[in-house]
Amino acid sequence: MNAHDEERMNELIRQSIAPMHASEPARDLWPDMLHRMDARPQVPPWFDWVLAGGVLGFVALVPASIPVLLYYL
Amino acid sequence: MNTHPYLRAFLAGAFVPTLILPLMLAGFIIFRLVLQVPIPIERGIVFPMALVPSLWGVWNMLWLVTHMRTHLAISLHGVLLPLLLMPCGALLGSGLGILALGSTGVVWFQEIHVPYVLIAPIFLCGLIGYYLVWKYIVGSVNRVLGIA
Repeated sequence: MNAHDEERMNELIRQSIAPMHASEPARDLWPDMLHRMDARPQVPPWFDWVLAGGVLGFVALVPASIPVLLYYL
Repeated sequence: MNTHPYLRAFLAGAFVPTLILPLMLAGFIIFRLVLQVPIPIERGIVFPMALVPSLWGVWNMLWLVTHMRTHLAISLHGVLLPLLLMPCGALLGSGLGILALGSTGVVWFQEIHVPYVLIAPIFLCGLIGYYLVWKYIVGSVNRVLGIA
């Protein structure tokens, strides 16, 4: 490959690869993340409390179910 | 800018089991090595430690992919996961020798006898647990990471 071919190859590579742009966001995104994290948490409805209580009650009554549930996480 | 939503979905899905597994490992060390409880837990710990976190991550990615078409709530999507996990876990458990079918029930870890009557309630408890965890924890992490 002579110097001319090399220059031509470089030119083709420059044309085919898009120029790099700055990957940094234009502004600080951390305040938005804090705002989301501080948003008011969802209040569970009564039936979700009943379901959670039912599971805890069952596990208390049947401790043998604990390793089985943990096995399946 | 590519915001990598699927990577964030995977991380949000794997968040809960990644937090719980070190606690399980600590429990294993205490029960098996410190208290010398004669139950071979180490055979069974492979399944939750190796497969479950990745499956949760992939399952959350699948929710992100299908949510626009199905509009399925994340809690119900999470409930579907045990339907896949429980047969796989049972198959692996019987292969590893930690689950044996008896005449009156299932024997786990060669020590814990669970009558067949209790299998359905335990399965139901698993479904409820998945429903609550996916609704409140995975859903919340998804919202924080901007994918829900």
